[in-house]
Amino acid sequence: MPEDARRLTRHALIDRLLHWGMAISTLILLGTAFLPILGIEFAWVTIHWVSGIVLTVLVIAHTVRASFWQDLGSMWIDKADLRDTMQLARWNLRMSARPPGLPGKYSLAQKLIHHVFTLTGLAAIVTGGLMMVKIDTPWWERNPYWLGEDVFGVIYVIHDLAALALITLVMVHVYFALRPEKLHFTRSMFLGWITRREYNEHHDSARWAVDAD
Amino acid sequence: MELLRTSRDVWGQEVLQGMSWDLIPVFFGAGAAIILCHLLYRWLLAPKGQSR
Repeated sequence: MPEDARRLTRHALIDRLLHWGMAISTLILLGTAFLPILGIEFAWVTIHWVSGIVLTVLVIAHTVRASFWQDLGSMWIDKADLRDTMQLARWNLRMSARPPGLPGKYSLAQKLIHHVFTLTGLAAIVTGGLMMVKIDTPWWERNPYWLGEDVFGVIYVIHDLAALALITLVMVHVYFALRPEKLHFTRSMFLGWITRREYNEHHDSARWAVDAD
Repeated sequence: MELLRTSRDVWGQEVLQGMSWDLIPVFFGAGAAIILCHLLYRWLLAPKGQSR
């Protein structure tokens, strides 16, 4: 196999399963939240809270794995990201002929959308968890008086705002995943690998050392 | 356009129910606008050969 075509691991199987599990549960949560509002009536409550619990478990698993088994710093925004973004702006505005430096495993844009997803998802998960005291589950009976109506009002607003923001975020995330110049990232989220050529073209080896598949 | 949904409790006081669902097209439109802006940027402004 030519060196350029050699496969390098970008996402391990467990990380891909966590990503797609979170993606599917998020889409189910959005569907069960908004389809009834748009006039498609069905029994959505149980599907919604069960999907919420699945998402919560997957987010906790992803957080533990990222913290102890992966390089947490690869998702951290550093000075090089900010410097390269400034250079990207200068390059786009034709103020410089020099293209910006290559990123590590993740570009600044990928880090930013991850962090916005994190904040929005956590807001939805925490408020959704609090809202579950108002429904019967196998573990407890509903108690609508656990918090005051005014507190629940704020919780509903945060939960709804997070859900609405997720519509925008999912649209933008899927759009960039389908961009022709990003398809190797999308393939790696399905199959796990990128080629040595893609690694050399899109990543700085000093910022992301990668293992052969 | 309303930003919030409210109702009245049994004592007639206004109670917050969440964000207004009139905002669904706004957030959908924001996603579409970001995508459109990026498409225009790539088509009109981005240096040739840009892969980032």
